[in-house]
Order: sequence, then structure tokens, then C-alpha cells
Amino acid sequence: MLPGAFNLSDKNLLLRHGVTDLLQLAQRRGANLHKLLHGTQIFEQDLSLAESRCHHRDWLTLVARSQQLASPELPFILADSLLHNKHSSLCQSLPLAANLATSLRQLYYFRHQLLPGIFVLLRKTDSHLSIVLKPAVQLGAQQAFIIKLAMAFLVRLVQLGTQRADELNIQLKQTAPAHLAHFNSHWPCPARFSQPLDALHIPLSLWYQPFITRQAAGFRDLSRACYQLNSRLPPQRGLLELIQRQLYRALPQQASLEQLASYLGLSSSSLKRLLQQQDTHFAALADDLRCDLANLLLLQSRLSNRQLASELGYSDEHNFRRAFKRWTGHVPSSVRLW
Amino acid sequence: MWRQHRYKIALTLLLLQAALVLAFQLGEVKPWASIDWLDILGEGIVLLVALCWLTLIVTSRPAGHITEWLYYGSLLLVCSFTLDLLDEFLRYPAHLRTMSWLESLPAPLGMLALTYGLVGWHREQRIINRQLQGRELFLRDHRLLDPLTQLYGLDYLYAVLKREIELHREQQQPLSLLMLGIDQFSAFNRQHGMAAGDQYLVQLAELLSSQLRSSDVLCRYAGDRFVVLLVNTRQREADIMAQHLQQQLTLLDSSEQQLSLSITSQQVNHAEAATVLARAEQQLLAVKRKSQAYQLQPD
Repeated sequence: MLPGAFNLSDKNLLLRHGVTDLLQLAQRRGANLHKLLHGTQIFEQDLSLAESRCHHRDWLTLVARSQQLASPELPFILADSLLHNKHSSLCQSLPLAANLATSLRQLYYFRHQLLPGIFVLLRKTDSHLSIVLKPAVQLGAQQAFIIKLAMAFLVRLVQLGTQRADELNIQLKQTAPAHLAHFNSHWPCPARFSQPLDALHIPLSLWYQPFITRQAAGFRDLSRACYQLNSRLPPQRGLLELIQRQLYRALPQQASLEQLASYLGLSSSSLKRLLQQQDTHFAALADDLRCDLANLLLLQSRLSNRQLASELGYSDEHNFRRAFKRWTGHVPSSVRLW
Repeated sequence: MWRQHRYKIALTLLLLQAALVLAFQLGEVKPWASIDWLDILGEGIVLLVALCWLTLIVTSRPAGHITEWLYYGSLLLVCSFTLDLLDEFLRYPAHLRTMSWLESLPAPLGMLALTYGLVGWHREQRIINRQLQGRELFLRDHRLLDPLTQLYGLDYLYAVLKREIELHREQQQPLSLLMLGIDQFSAFNRQHGMAAGDQYLVQLAELLSSQLRSSDVLCRYAGDRFVVLLVNTRQREADIMAQHLQQQLTLLDSSEQQLSLSITSQQVNHAEAATVLARAEQQLLAVKRKSQAYQLQPD
């Protein structure tokens, strides 16, 4: 396997960093521990050990099983539970940071200790910083849950540190649920559904506002613990993340499969095979990234089609316009500015 | 549940085994050509259904006399149907009537026992319905229950509220609604852990439902919010009810910290369930803001 990357059967998740939280929440909602763990490689006695781990496939199985509980609050309270997790130095340290900028930088740097299945693209404008959440490995049917979980985690962190989470703005790909009560009661900010991307938009005014919960010494100590954990849980990224981030860096050049393969130290055919294992292919990943970026740019600025085309590496605006219509079903000019 | 009924399972297996042994002792196997497969299909399905009933009873009913009747009734049916199926494969000597008695006698007896058990079940259900008052109105659907508090959730509330609005409008009766939210619940969760928070929600749900009239219904709205639907109630009575619930909250000693509730009441005048609930949400948010500002003021 690729150095620096993990696959679905690498044991890179510490049970205490979220898995046990999910199991406890599910059990209190009537799930049977034995049935939750059935068929996974997690055993009941592992749950009490500090260093037990599981792989991503088992995590996805557990998420799928706990979704059968018909408890729509689950992603929201799991996010709370993670943020208050006493076993994760990373989660403990986040509210103690000096401000949101430091806190999110810390989360970004150590994200493999919490949710390695998600990665982010960042884009800054004059007024906002936009965080686009994307799957770092194939998350399948559990993607919506895990994106909601990550989003709820960020919202709760902003609320805890600044008490101003009502100024955030959320876009979700998932379709709107029948009733919005769960979103309204957990998120003080508006969320829009059926959007082209999963994104959180943070006003820059929040960025350097000192955290109410800041505590310099505590933050320093816990950061040290995070660094120490890195020696046992080295930073590994998902394959989709490695590829899409490299594609992002290469823009406005459109990197080819061969260039990516040689960057990753693989032959083109092994890269193709690895992607096939995750039910995707190179062109789909490249399209997905450009589609997200085009939507984000359209939301943030009044760029013309020509400018967008050159930003995204298209030879002319007609090609871009055609591609955009293929991705989203409508033309770029119909996307609303905010 | 089935662990309570170990001896029943053992008895079933023993009895079926005895029937098999007896049948093979007495009878001889029919020639292949004279077996009627259509009969076997019909009787096989009947036996399977009876076995399903037996399994459902053993796995879902707690021990008790109603369960005994239901169990023995369906056990007799299963025995009878098993022998019925066996005689499609076996031929018994003409002078021996034992097997035909054994085949036909248990079925009516089993039916009688099962019926007696079902009547008991009906009575029991009436009592349970009385226990459930304050937790449900006209509709019952276990899939709409909130798995944590065992109260009905959002979807149920919408269904019931829609119907009650129509009914009350037709009969020109006042309908009121309370929305309750726990103040500073996320801070409580942060301080004491999610387990304590969940525990508190469960206790609160029990306390609230014990304080309501049998005609009212309590639902878990979302997060830390609950909704009480008060039928045939004016705004003034609803306010009194809200005050009463506030006072009762002191009974709930969460050991470390006393949590407070924000409650809003409204008489339902609008026809749309969604609008009514959205208004309640806004009111609750305003009340919460006010109480928060009040708490932050220096003494």
C-alpha cells in the first residue's frame, strides 16, 4: 500500500476517539452492544483498553447500524460527545486555543487523530473563510452522516469558543429532511439543503476573536500530548484526499493520471486499481473537485466564465460552461451569489 | 425474553420428538408415488405459521398466566399440525385409532386455549393503554418513538397535531400547546458528560408525563425540547399547567446541578401544524434569551 495513506482495513482509528462514544450513545438508545459489534473485528474487551484500534470499514459498519435506531439527533450529539471526549487530547485542546484560527489550525494539523475519513478544502475571500468538507476515503451510504457529524463538531466548537455560531452559514448536499427541528435545535445558524457542496462559511470577524474558553498553558500541554500521539498514530491520509489535494495544488494546470501516479510513487495501473477498490476513477475525482471549486468561486465572487475557466484549467469558457452543465444540470450564471 | 421460557422451549422440542418417534413406531412409510405434494405444501405452510406464532410468543412475551395460555394453545396446534403433516408420509394400520385422535383432538383444544389467552391479552392491553395515557393520542406506531426517552418524536407530533387542530376546529374547542426547553443544557452536557445529559432527559420525560392529564400528550420535539399538546384547554389553563410543571421540576434532583426549564404556552389558532410549531420555537428562543440575559446580570 501507499506510504502516507491508509486504506479501509488499516487500523488507524483509536476506539476511544469516537467509536466508544458512538457505541455508548447507541446503547443508551436501546441498541444491543453485541449486535452492534457482530461481524466487526472489535471485541467487547477491547473497548476498555486505551490503545485499542479499529479500521475504517468497521467504523462505517457501526455508523450504519446506529443509524437504524431512528434517532435523528445522533450525529449532533455524537459531535458534542466527541468535543467533550476526555480521552482525546486533540478535542480537549480545541476550546482552549487562543482563537478560532489557532483552534482550527490545530484541528487541521491533527485531523487524522479524530476523523481521518474527512478532509477539507479552504478558500478565503474578503469577508468569509469557506471550509468545504469532502470524503477522504469512500464513505458510501454513511457519507451524509459523517459530513453532518463533522459539521456539527465545527459549529459546536465555534459556539463554545465565541458564542457567535449564529453568524455561520452552512451548505449541505443532502436533501432537506421533512422537519427541520433537529437542525434548528442543535445549530443556531441557518443550513441550506440540496446544495452543490458541503461547506461551512465562517465570517472573518470571528477568526481572531479571542476564545472565551482560552487557556494558554492547558493548550500547550495538550498540544504536546497530541504530538506524542503522532508517534503511535502517524498522520496518514485517505487516497481520495491525496489525489484531490494534489489536483487542487496543480491548478490552473490540469494534472493527469500519470503525473499523479508518479507523484504518489505508483504506476498508473496500480493507481487505477487502488481507485477501483474505492469504487471511483480518476476522471470522476477530477470532475468532482473542479465542480466543487466552480460552485464555491461562483458563490464567493463575480468572476466571469472566462476567469473561472482559466482558474480551473479549461482552455476556454465554452468548455467550462459545457462541463459545468454536465456536473450540475444548469449553467454557471444561474448559481446564486450570496 | 426467550431466556425466561427455557423450560417451554425444552418441552416443545421433547413433545415434537416424542410425536416423531411414536409416528415412526406405529406407521410405515408410504410409497413415493402415493404422496400428495399439494397436501404437503398446504399442511407444511400451516405448520410453519403455527411455529412462527410459538416463536413470537416465546421471544416477545414476559412470563405470566396470559403467556402460558397463549403458549400452550399454540403448542397444541403445532403438535396437531406436525402429526397432520407426518401422516402424508406415513400409513398407520387401520385398527389403530391412536394417531388419528392425537391428530385431531389437540387442534380444537389448542384453539380454545389460544382464544382464552387472546381475551386475556385484550384485557391486559386495556390496562396498558391506560398506563400509556399522556404518552399517546389516537395513533400508535412504535417506529415513531424516540429511542432514548420512549416518548413519541417529531413525526408523531406532526401527525397528531394536524388531526387535533381539525377536530378542535370542528367542535369549536380550544387547543393549547406547551413547548419546553432545558436552559443551558449543552453546558450541563459539557460539565457532566453526555451520559448524565441523556439520563436527565429520560428522568425529565418520566416526570413530565406523570404530571399530565390523561387526555394530554407529551412528545420529544428535538434535542432538549419537549412539546405538550393540551386538548380542550384555554391559554389561561395552559399557563397554569406550565407553572405547575415548573414547580414539579424541583422534584428532579440531578445531584450536581439544578437545571431550569423555559416553557412557552400558546393557544393554537393557526391551521398549519408547521406554523404553530415554528411560532412556539421562536417564542421559546425569546424566553431563553431573556432568562440568559437575566442570569448574566450582576446581583
